[in-house]
Amino acid sequence: MATTAPESFPVHEDAHHDAHADHKPAFFQRWFMSTNHKDIGTLYLIFSIFAAIIGGGISGIMRFELQEPGIQYLTWWAEFLGNPAGDFDSALHLWNVLITAHGLIMVFFVVMPAMIGGFANWFVPIMIGAPDMAFPRMNNISFWLTFMGFCSLMMSAFMPGGTGMGAGTGWTVYAPLSTTGSPGPAVDFGIFALHLAGAGSIMGAINFITTIFNMRAPGMTLHKMPLFVWSVLVTAFLLLLALPVLAAAITMLLTDRNFQTTFFTPEGGGDPVLYQHLFWFFGHPEVYIMILPGFGIISQIISTFSRKPVFGYLGMAYAMVAIGVVGFIVWAHHMYTVGLSVNEKMYFTAATMVIAVPTGVKIFSWIATMWGGSLRFTSPMIWALGFIFLFTVGGVTGVVLANGSIDDNLHDSYYVVAHFHYVLSLGAVTAMFAGWYYWFPKMFGVWHSEFLSKLQFAIFFVGVNLVFFPMHFLGMNGMSRRYPDYNPAFELWNWVATRGYEIMAISIAVFFANIIYAIVVRKKAEGNYWGEGATTLEWTLSSPPPFHQFETLPVIDDKAGAH
Amino acid sequence: MEQSIAPDRRIDNIDEARRRNNRTGFIFLIVAIGMLGMGYAAVPLYRIFCQVTGIDGTTQRASEEQAAAVVAATGQHISVRFDGNVSGGLPWKFKPNQVKQDVVIGEKSLASYHAVNNSARPITGTAVFNVSPTQAGKYFNKIECFCFTEQTLKPGQEVEMPVIYYVDPAILDDPDARDVEQITLSYSFYESPKG
Repeated sequence: MATTAPESFPVHEDAHHDAHADHKPAFFQRWFMSTNHKDIGTLYLIFSIFAAIIGGGISGIMRFELQEPGIQYLTWWAEFLGNPAGDFDSALHLWNVLITAHGLIMVFFVVMPAMIGGFANWFVPIMIGAPDMAFPRMNNISFWLTFMGFCSLMMSAFMPGGTGMGAGTGWTVYAPLSTTGSPGPAVDFGIFALHLAGAGSIMGAINFITTIFNMRAPGMTLHKMPLFVWSVLVTAFLLLLALPVLAAAITMLLTDRNFQTTFFTPEGGGDPVLYQHLFWFFGHPEVYIMILPGFGIISQIISTFSRKPVFGYLGMAYAMVAIGVVGFIVWAHHMYTVGLSVNEKMYFTAATMVIAVPTGVKIFSWIATMWGGSLRFTSPMIWALGFIFLFTVGGVTGVVLANGSIDDNLHDSYYVVAHFHYVLSLGAVTAMFAGWYYWFPKMFGVWHSEFLSKLQFAIFFVGVNLVFFPMHFLGMNGMSRRYPDYNPAFELWNWVATRGYEIMAISIAVFFANIIYAIVVRKKAEGNYWGEGATTLEWTLSSPPPFHQFETLPVIDDKAGAH
Repeated sequence: MEQSIAPDRRIDNIDEARRRNNRTGFIFLIVAIGMLGMGYAAVPLYRIFCQVTGIDGTTQRASEEQAAAVVAATGQHISVRFDGNVSGGLPWKFKPNQVKQDVVIGEKSLASYHAVNNSARPITGTAVFNVSPTQAGKYFNKIECFCFTEQTLKPGQEVEMPVIYYVDPAILDDPDARDVEQITLSYSFYESPKG
């Protein structure tokens, strides 16, 4: 990046670096043309919270619609969003639009921006002792591409998408529903959103890999990097290898839709199943992209509040590498019902179950880290413990679903919905909250309320379990996902799940109350506010860190346990 | 924050650092573009993979010579059922002339389909085909088939469409497929994309 702005590379302003360490540009320049990794991280976090309100609000509409059998609210929402009054088909179409938007927003515009754009941007450079990311300007482009992708997705909701307004294809955008089944520009805008967000993430991945490979401080060898940095390194490689395949697949969709190619159209010699292969070749690594940074955050937190280095550091690092590698060869377990042969199913079942081994290494190493440690139950630690429990529940149902024979029965049922929400909605999101409370005073220089954080955890934990645990029962009893209506026999547990959603919503109110508390009370945080046990480099800096840190690089000495 | 750091620990040569970053960034950009290319390469690779392995019921194509060289398995019968349908928008009637054939494994057989263009315009269609159960795909050989080429029917035209096929006796040696007693051959006619 030959055009990198001088202020983003403060390290060479040797003569007067002290005076400039905290010199911030004016508001517009600082936040709209930012090249500072911490500011871009903050932008990503704000963006993620904003997108989460929309994505979570959509899940609320769905949850209340599902509270009882029949169609209650959809027709009203369909009219509200600009569909012709009294058009029942467009109301049903709206359901598809909602599940699509919820999935895409949560995956691409909530979890990825928070984990990778937010926390990783903020802390990877600091943890490896670098002044900034390798390509600060590209970092800025990544953020605004993601933002524009979100705008494109939002716009698609107000365009014709076949039966009604919006793209109703599911987040998987399977052909032929997404090609011949969805006339109108909505799906094109949805695909465009994925292109933009994907391009932003690929740039981010290149940025992280280059930063981690080239910009580590003297003495910070790969095997001394904090586990959060390891998790982001593996994640960046997954992004780099998986997202271009998605880009290829959705570009083929786009040309199938608009330019008469027949990649996925049988009459021209194409095959819709090929789209599923391509999508899941991306889609499976994508789920690890969402959870691996969470693993990294949890490792830092468990280690800090056990006042011990993480148990089995190398095993933890290479377990993530193993999860990343094996994650690329298990994709067809998402498509057991397309007509795979018995042998293919056996392979994908076995390969999928193998992932339980490195995942088990991680879970047991976290427990072993706590074993004999002097534990402190601060709010991030409590969230981290919640993560371990919830992720393990989701992991166990994952092992169940890995079986090709069992999946024939559970495929596209609420059991699957319960499974992936336990690992993502409860797993990844819990890790995000853990990271939020771990680093909130570090990032913003003021304390959140520990009481409110713990209160939020208690309410959230009850709420989300009430939402998603009953879905196991519903799925095993045959309730299909992706429908706004269901057999009245399923009403009880759907009613319970909706009550759980209400409880969860209260916890989100507590989350915002906590932010307001921090803004109002402005209780200053010191540099290393967690004290002994917090050993990574961000704790050597003030809270918030100076606008430009490490103008002279820190030296990692051999004895210090960086992890 | 940082104390007494030796001067050689500073990044003095910022150009060198940038060059290094640009090189690494470029390498991984190439990797990303390479994966994009792999995504597209998957299209022909997938087709070849399906044809070679007969996976998912992809049937095989054989020449007359290959068919002649096959030694029929004496007394081993298998039944073949026929199915024909047209995709939504195609105004054709298309159905097999026989529901079922009982054939000797390895012997050539002739079956035929009947197609009518019910519309007032000439239409070109392509037939897409598959067999079930899928593990029989690699043993189901077609020597001659209307599905190898596009078919054009004039308004109101009726035609008989033949298919000559045999079931490879190797099916009897495959533990996954030797128990198959009946193979269903299915055709779907689509209107050929214009252009």
